[in-house]
Amino acid sequence: MRKARYWKILLLVIISAVLVVGCSSKESSGEKSAGSKTESKEMVIAVNENFISMDPHNTGDTNSNSVQSAMLEGLLGFDQDGKIIKKLAVDYSVSDNALEYTFKLRQGVKFHDGEAFNAEAVKANYERIMKDDSLRLNSRGFSLITQIDVINDYELKITLKEPYPSMLTRFVSAKILSPKLLKEGNNNIAKKPVGTGPFKFVEWVQGDHLTVERFADYWDKKDRVQKITYKPVPENGSRTAMLKTGEAHVIYPLPSQNIKELESNKDIKIEKIPSTIARYVSINTMKKPFDDPRVRQAMNYAVDKNAFINVVNAGFGLPLDSIIPSKTLHYVKQGVYEQNIEKAKQLLKEAGLEKGFKAEIWGNTNSDTMKGMQFIQQQLKAIGIDVEIKSMEEGTLSDEIYGAQKPEDTKLQMWYVSWSAYPSDTTNATRPLFYGGSFPPNGANTAYYKNEQVDKWIEEVGKTVDPAKQAEIYSNIQSTIYKDTPWIFLGVDEILAGKRTNVEGVVIEPGGGIDVTNANLK
Amino acid sequence: MLKSYRAKGFFRKGLLTVLQYIIKRIFEMIPILFIVSILIFFFTHLIPGDPARLVAGKDATFEEVATIREELGLDKPIWEQYVTYMGNLFQGDLGTSLKTGLPIMDMFVDRFMPSIYLTLFSMVWALVIGLLIGTLSAVFKNKWPDYLGMVSAVSGISLPGFWLGLILIQIFSVQLGWFPTGGADGWKSYVLPSLTLGAGIMSMLARFTRSSLLETLKADFIRTGRAKGLKESIVIPKHALRNSLIPVVTIAGLQFGFLLGGSVVVETVFSFPGMGRLLIDSISFRDYPVIQAELLLFSIEFIMVNLVVDILYSYLNPKIRYTA
Repeated sequence: MRKARYWKILLLVIISAVLVVGCSSKESSGEKSAGSKTESKEMVIAVNENFISMDPHNTGDTNSNSVQSAMLEGLLGFDQDGKIIKKLAVDYSVSDNALEYTFKLRQGVKFHDGEAFNAEAVKANYERIMKDDSLRLNSRGFSLITQIDVINDYELKITLKEPYPSMLTRFVSAKILSPKLLKEGNNNIAKKPVGTGPFKFVEWVQGDHLTVERFADYWDKKDRVQKITYKPVPENGSRTAMLKTGEAHVIYPLPSQNIKELESNKDIKIEKIPSTIARYVSINTMKKPFDDPRVRQAMNYAVDKNAFINVVNAGFGLPLDSIIPSKTLHYVKQGVYEQNIEKAKQLLKEAGLEKGFKAEIWGNTNSDTMKGMQFIQQQLKAIGIDVEIKSMEEGTLSDEIYGAQKPEDTKLQMWYVSWSAYPSDTTNATRPLFYGGSFPPNGANTAYYKNEQVDKWIEEVGKTVDPAKQAEIYSNIQSTIYKDTPWIFLGVDEILAGKRTNVEGVVIEPGGGIDVTNANLK
Repeated sequence: MLKSYRAKGFFRKGLLTVLQYIIKRIFEMIPILFIVSILIFFFTHLIPGDPARLVAGKDATFEEVATIREELGLDKPIWEQYVTYMGNLFQGDLGTSLKTGLPIMDMFVDRFMPSIYLTLFSMVWALVIGLLIGTLSAVFKNKWPDYLGMVSAVSGISLPGFWLGLILIQIFSVQLGWFPTGGADGWKSYVLPSLTLGAGIMSMLARFTRSSLLETLKADFIRTGRAKGLKESIVIPKHALRNSLIPVVTIAGLQFGFLLGGSVVVETVFSFPGMGRLLIDSISFRDYPVIQAELLLFSIEFIMVNLVVDILYSYLNPKIRYTA
């Protein structure tokens, strides 16, 4: 009898001990956060995806970049339209041959760990990227650097092997880390970055939150919020609920299906930002019958762009009226292929395809992509093109597309996809997509578009420093490609963000980045 | 009388036998885990999709992708990759994530305990309420407590977790403001996810308890007990319920194992930092090392849970014995 009772008591004790330990360790962290919340000087920003890495030299996703930009700065930065501005550099110049970049640095800037910011620090950072070819930025310009000359403490010159037109944008991305941190190795850089930004790193609990706090010695003295906590909240409904309850002060993106319930809430304001996300269907211009430009034009005339935006993005968007979005530098409006079924049928007739044909469209399994592909299917049906939808999981799709080593090998006919580049980086918005040397697997020219003249222009603009000359060439590129219709030009997303009305100074950039430099709570 | 016999039965062979048994089982894990590791490794690498391409990004050139592939060691023959992987594993190194570049251990640390707590909280309430409803339903068969209990059990099974979670957020977070909408910060943030996660299990346990208990109540020894004039308050919990628990423990153990693997739905709705979402993210990114490490961990957890279940069996029914 006694033994049995003993056994039970033991079991009970073990279970309750486990639970108590579980609760108590949680409770202590709970108290901490509850306490700081009452100070009301903590801002919470909820975004849709997990942060991947805090290493600014090795990051490709928008959300990680957003968080990094609170703590870290580059020599250059972006304004709210995505134009390039000076950050840690007070001045810069580019040589006429587009090979030498000279920077004058801001003085009196300190890293969060007390180290001084100077030309040697910048050199150490850029050398890290040059030497380590596993870093994302290495292959994006920095491997072309042949020499970094420190002219004096606050001036340095960078020399490239060959012109690289996106280099200024890369100087924005290549945030400057404390030289002390660089010595600690990649692992620490990815986990707890140290920079010169307005906020410094506090903690990162994987999958839950990342917190930063105001850096008292920041060079641009302004009143800003004490603390910012970033939270990944992938579920749209949950993110919206957080904004409503006030658990989050800013949410990005705001799901378009929730916009009605939030519009009536007087504590919440909704922001619409024209983005640099272009949506299109690339058409394999080397495959029959798509090799006939009349067929591709007919496909463009068959699609109602405004209806597309309504179907796929609840009306938040603008028709794609060039080969690049309107926020991209050197954009020139080309006009829209307005829906005209008669004209489309006429073009098909001229091409000898009045009876229509069968085709295949590829896309990922995302529900929005499915909606978009079904819409295209239905629109093309009206001119007799019978489209079969093939949706594939992202990795498989990528294998299918980039697995083809030569244009003849690919089975790709149409790909429903989107592209986004920094507004300042027109090169990246054109070269990988339309240059003859960018066929998969070398780039994303999945239309297999090849135009000798366009190739020449793209090569020429890469060596051009004069902005007026650049604008002229890009204007030619846009009008030529737009007429050649390697894509069905669909739309440009407007991105949505939600803020509590007491939030000030939080700027959502066209690329979806969140600038918190002047963030504050009223 | 019966009880003391049983307790003795459990302890008769002494703690030593139990320990011997446990140790034997743990040694048995080694070949199982070895086979599991091979299966995991090769099947993970069989999924179509190239992590190097995903790491490099859409605008990467062929050379960049090739450099990254080499950097990640993915250009080597697969058996060589497996040998390297196992070598590191034996030194306690789970590897680094292809996606984040962080050691996998670091990524697990923040997620593992929240997943464990969530599992425990969900299981505890599901067990208590499930057993209670099941017992009441069986005792009051075809009376209103039975109907009420079974209606709630059926609803618990039928409500999709996704929907239930969002409804709970709407009521308890948005309207009443009692609990946070998500996260894993303090006990309050565990309430709604545990309720959502436990609902289905509670219902399942209630139904199993009811049917198993109804079976037992028909047994001869219960009739004997009642004939001897034992009170119902003794017969039901001490004699009938304990003898009905074997199938319930089986189900509970299985569910426990599944829960430890994390629940993608609940973790997504409540933005909960658990293991489930990490697995899904890793799979879509083809983050081989993370997928392998997680699956291996789940296998170990499952084997451990099964061991506990087996020990519980023999406590509940001394006829089931271990042979050390």
